[in-house]
Amino acid sequence: MRQYIVKALLQFIPVMFLITLIVFSLMHVTGDPVSLMLSDTATDEDREILTKALGLDQPMHIQYLKFMGNLLQGDFGTSFRYNQPALPIVLERLPASFELAIAAMLVATVISIPLGIWSATKRNSILDVFVTGGAVLGKAMPSFWLGIMLILLFAVKWKTLPVSGHGSFKHLILPAITLGTGIAAEMTRLIRSSLLEILGQDYIRTARSKGLMEMLVIYKHAFRNSLIPVVTIMALQTSVLIGGTLITETIFSWPGMGQLIIQAVNTRDMAIVQAAVFVIALLVIISNLLADLLYRFLDPRIKYN
Amino acid sequence: MSASLETPAASVPMQQTNRRAGKLRRGVRSLLKSKTGTLGLLIIVAITFMAVFAGQLAPQDPAKQNVAQRLKPPMWLEGGKPDFPLGTDNLGRDILSRIIYGSQVSLLVGICSVIIAGLIGVFLGLVSGYFGGWIDMVIMRIVDAFLAIPNILFTLVILSVLGPGLVTLILVLGITNWTNYARIVRGEVLSIKERDFVRAARSVGARDARIIFTHILPNVVSSFIVISTLSVATTIILEASLSFLGLGIQPPTVSWGGMLSDGRDYVATSWWIATFPGLAITLTVLGIIFLGDWLRDVLDPRMKQNGK
Amino acid sequence: MKRLASIGLAVFLALSGLLAGCTSSSAPQTTTEQPPAQTGGDTASSGEKVLTIASGNDIESFDIHNHNNTSTEAVHVNMFNYLVKKDRSQQIQPDLAVSWENTDPTTWRFKLREGVKFHNGDPFTAADVKFTLERAARDNTLLEYGNYKQIKEVKIIDDHTVDIITDGPQPVMLNRLSRLGSGMLPSKYIKEKGWDEFLNHPVGTGPYKFSEWKKADRLILVKNDDYFGDKPKWDKLIFRAIPEDSTRVAELLTGGVDLAVNIPPTDMQRIDDNQGTHTATGPTQRVMQLTLRMTAGTATADPKVREAIELSIDKQAIVDNLLGGGGTITRTRVTPGNFGADPDLYGKQLYDPERAKQLLAEAGHPGGLEITMSSPSGRYLKDKETAELIAAMLGEVGIKVKLEFLEWSKFNEKYKGKTFGEVFMIAYANSMFDASLAFDRIYSERAKGETDYNNPEVDKLLDEAETNMNPDERAEQYQKVQRIVAEDRPVIYLFQTNANFGVSDRINFEPRLDEMLFADEITLK
Repeated sequence: MRQYIVKALLQFIPVMFLITLIVFSLMHVTGDPVSLMLSDTATDEDREILTKALGLDQPMHIQYLKFMGNLLQGDFGTSFRYNQPALPIVLERLPASFELAIAAMLVATVISIPLGIWSATKRNSILDVFVTGGAVLGKAMPSFWLGIMLILLFAVKWKTLPVSGHGSFKHLILPAITLGTGIAAEMTRLIRSSLLEILGQDYIRTARSKGLMEMLVIYKHAFRNSLIPVVTIMALQTSVLIGGTLITETIFSWPGMGQLIIQAVNTRDMAIVQAAVFVIALLVIISNLLADLLYRFLDPRIKYN
Repeated sequence: MSASLETPAASVPMQQTNRRAGKLRRGVRSLLKSKTGTLGLLIIVAITFMAVFAGQLAPQDPAKQNVAQRLKPPMWLEGGKPDFPLGTDNLGRDILSRIIYGSQVSLLVGICSVIIAGLIGVFLGLVSGYFGGWIDMVIMRIVDAFLAIPNILFTLVILSVLGPGLVTLILVLGITNWTNYARIVRGEVLSIKERDFVRAARSVGARDARIIFTHILPNVVSSFIVISTLSVATTIILEASLSFLGLGIQPPTVSWGGMLSDGRDYVATSWWIATFPGLAITLTVLGIIFLGDWLRDVLDPRMKQNGK
Repeated sequence: MKRLASIGLAVFLALSGLLAGCTSSSAPQTTTEQPPAQTGGDTASSGEKVLTIASGNDIESFDIHNHNNTSTEAVHVNMFNYLVKKDRSQQIQPDLAVSWENTDPTTWRFKLREGVKFHNGDPFTAADVKFTLERAARDNTLLEYGNYKQIKEVKIIDDHTVDIITDGPQPVMLNRLSRLGSGMLPSKYIKEKGWDEFLNHPVGTGPYKFSEWKKADRLILVKNDDYFGDKPKWDKLIFRAIPEDSTRVAELLTGGVDLAVNIPPTDMQRIDDNQGTHTATGPTQRVMQLTLRMTAGTATADPKVREAIELSIDKQAIVDNLLGGGGTITRTRVTPGNFGADPDLYGKQLYDPERAKQLLAEAGHPGGLEITMSSPSGRYLKDKETAELIAAMLGEVGIKVKLEFLEWSKFNEKYKGKTFGEVFMIAYANSMFDASLAFDRIYSERAKGETDYNNPEVDKLLDEAETNMNPDERAEQYQKVQRIVAEDRPVIYLFQTNANFGVSDRINFEPRLDEMLFADEITLK
């Protein structure tokens, strides 16, 4: 186990290094960072000064080393919009996004686990077709569309929930459903197929042939074992979940990182974008790592080499 | 000695062809048995037909504006006109014609980007799985790095730097979506390369490239198809989301995502502007996923066992 | 294995509980200021008078010199005071200065109001004026530098008298001092606590003082009981940032906010039909225009082609159909309310497609011609649709338009690089309320590479007007320029856009031409 953790951490370093490479090329190779950072009223002189100040007149590899050096010191550049270091601005928004993401995950779990089990146990029944169809619909609906519809129905028409903003539990419901639906759809499908796989395995068939009650079989053997892959499935949705906050937060004016990123992209505040990409990548990697650990812990069949 | 060994190795592809023909026949049979699969296929065929014959099918020029006829409801509602079966948008353009033309862009973006992503992903997956060792290490770390950045964020940042456009969008989606292919193909290769016919080929000294392309590649095609279908669906939705964020396909090119996103200002007043492109997206994705699920059931041997 | 699975489940649940705990622990602090959702800006149980206003974006910052954002300024005006302010009819009125005079053409002497206190208790004195204006005038990294660099020095005569020395005669000085960047800052506080502390806990002299800013969510101001002017009318102001239009409208409809800015024209009817809300609309300083390239060799270098373009555009149809009537057609950028406006060019258009066709034939394009037109998309109200409609109108007379839509930063890149084709569409505002700013890019030196317009007569008139301290003569010079430009057409002005607001029936609100949101001009019914 310890050996595995050490190995995982060792893999983590090259991945983060590659992410710095990706971000660096996004910012420096594909575009002209100077014109992205300059204000509307800047002159040619300003341009030259900034180019020098950013060290962009130097060869690419030197630039990259400097970029890395700054990152290692936690310096992700200065947001020109806020005139402050980018990293704290991004981190400040993290709790609100977390809140939304966890709520959305809960929504997704509550919907997908029963539906997934239900449709797997009644494979090819009308119910299965409905659940599968519903899952596809949930996946096919662009989330901005769903969000706008939910506001129109629940807030404007029925006046049961607040439209937007952040604060009370009630404010959390619509954004969480908007963000959770797509993930619920994906998870339902995955849970269904992982359960089907388990139901097809020998020990379940043995249990069935012994005449155990169907519900008991499903509960005692299949469901518990299918929980193991569910943990992995949930962790793998982290990236989708964070990606989804970009849109959900914009619709519900949720003051999280997603909205910050959209605004930073629109105003070309690349320091913020850069810092946010790193923070997100780190979160995704850590959550995948944790899921992997948990998975190995739960399922002793997996060896640690 | 070498001659006697060559025979079994050479006969493998033939056996495979037979197996594949059988697979195909079984596939068609199971397709007809699967209601959702049939439905999916029908939807996809219809939409492809629409895209190919847009010029003949569309009753009007999708770009033709007619301010006098703006915001007309669909023909079956009061105030609707038979000239505009699904109504008109805020510039008086025929929504039906725009949806018909929009299918071209949605399919184009979906299919082209999936091909690019597939080519990159399958190639790297093959190499990674076949050679293993440090090559595998490096490629898989690259995959991890790409996977750590949410797709929509990745696409958004690149598009904001390069500027939105049809070709840019296709390329960007291509280079950000390859990781799934690489991971799954690599997994398949790891098991395939231990099989007898690959070992045999290797033992007679066949070159790596030959083994990869003639022996291994045909065996990962089914995975490729399954991932591809689902990818086309995600891509179509992603294009709509990007339009919402202002970085989708720009007019005068018509896209469903763009129509849906423009129509959101009119949701409460002229619902048809956004509803029909929304339906088109949902229906297409529905079709693709149904078809994809069926393909997986047919092509994925593990799933087939479970189906028994 | 079963046991392991249940342990795993327990671990997972514990973990998620832990995470939920982390987030909820930060929740109480965020909920305290939260008004009940349904009542929004209502006079809640405590009888507190709360006004809630929703804008499309959050304020940029409290650095009043380093933004150029009208909606940020619209909030700042409730916290800071200028030396002089514009009233609703654009007349200059005393504010922190009680009187002023020109002791010579380059010196402005201001008598400051006595007994004014900043929110932290510091008295307002001449030192604060010097600090505020010289910061903007000397630091060329600030966005407002360009509008203040004309100030050479601010001399402190005594605690309540200052002389502002300019680098030349400045006929628009009072306009400069009654806009963005002129809010008086507390010099002592900033010098003692540092700029960062000020940005986090800003202090001004205005009727409302800073309470809390949750970025991208809300800014809360509370009333300043020591305000030197009339008692503030509200106990608390909440400025919410709601970027998505449909969400902002929904908040208004459900009573979540009292006032919503930037309402899409399509939703105006809905807000009026809804019980409890109405709309308000008013002109702004923004004028939409087409900038035409006159560079030799381009099709639009021919005055007949430029005239044909103007004649083929039915500006009124754009206003009526796309803006829901929320705008006024114009042939000048100097609209009423601005110094030097020529009313003869306002509210008019020259729509005549037949004549346009004829002009094109005369210009040697009987079979039509093709031009490229660039437009930003998503920057201005209905910009994309406007450009598409113009392209269709030009198409009617035989001018085939190749439309190029650019997302703002790409547009801006081309704009700065002056690399557009024949035509580009853009809207300009005029926060100076003076004609001089409107002709900035018409002057031959500045027009080089963009329109390549070069009319020595216009240059001469602009040079003279720039430093002319005689208002009547100066107004006449600018009116002359407007008439020449309307004939030469380096620019075709389209329409002045209105600002659309959604208003709760419980308040009275009248939009201002400068789009400022003075809370004390908004009253409970």
